[in-house]
Amino acid sequence: MTDAHQFEAFVRRYQNLVYATAVRLLGNPAEAEDVAQAVFLKAFQRFETIGSSPAAAGWLRTVTRNACLNHLSRYRARWRFFSELEQPDGEAFEPAAQEAAEADHAARDERLEEALRRLPDHQRVPLVLFHFEDASYQDIADTLGVSVGKVKTDIHRGREALRRLLT
Amino acid sequence: MRSIDPERFADVVGARLRQLPLPAAPRTLLPRVMAAAQEWARRPWYTRAWFTWPLGWQAASIAVLCVLGAGAVLLLPSVASAAARITTVNAAVVLWRTLVRPVVPYAFAFAALMCAACAVFGAALNHVVFGRTVQP
Repeated sequence: MTDAHQFEAFVRRYQNLVYATAVRLLGNPAEAEDVAQAVFLKAFQRFETIGSSPAAAGWLRTVTRNACLNHLSRYRARWRFFSELEQPDGEAFEPAAQEAAEADHAARDERLEEALRRLPDHQRVPLVLFHFEDASYQDIADTLGVSVGKVKTDIHRGREALRRLLT
Repeated sequence: MRSIDPERFADVVGARLRQLPLPAAPRTLLPRVMAAAQEWARRPWYTRAWFTWPLGWQAASIAVLCVLGAGAVLLLPSVASAAARITTVNAAVVLWRTLVRPVVPYAFAFAALMCAACAVFGAALNHVVFGRTVQP
């Protein structure tokens, strides 16, 4: 029987990691929270083995990533077709000039995080997998079922879309 | 920044993104997780996924499946020979022989053709829309 206090401590320890992974991949805080809940429920079902394991963080990241990719493929396959046609690449976010000029580091971080979320899925997901999950172009291509060339192109366009906030 | 080397820009982007602090999980997440976990724990064990069953019941279910499989393998020849001895012709057999069986090969060929057409169309659509090409 899993101890509720132990599991609660486990959730408190890793909730930011799981939520951050989910929200960066999904770009939607509400969906990210749903996925995070599902991931922790899986962890609860396996808590006897995963609760005290040193590999818990890695396990949670992997499960979260897979859950997000499944969520994206399950619920967004239909409109992804249209979103890729309608949304011009690299124009998902354009901050006002005076906002971009603000010096406050925390505010810039927040805007960069927001800009990342607002990238279209086909740019954001490979960008997050590359820079946050340390996946290779080939791994990303295999995971998403697209060509390596498309992955490189989408990552490049995603970076370009964030360029103004990074200069 | 426009003239920056693309590779260096990629490194700059990577470094900047990795500096971002982890977004904080909403305060609603923990209560939701605990409620879902408690609700799951209250369910009877046999309504949960098989891998969460007590080990004893997992072993018992595997043993039952093995017994059923062995029984099917041992009994199947007897059932087949018993069925072959049945000589009574019923309406279903007549209908099958006269109406359905002649059409089955053509229906199968049509279904296979439609599946192939769907596969070709899907591949072509994927190629055109998502640029699934082999890069030189």
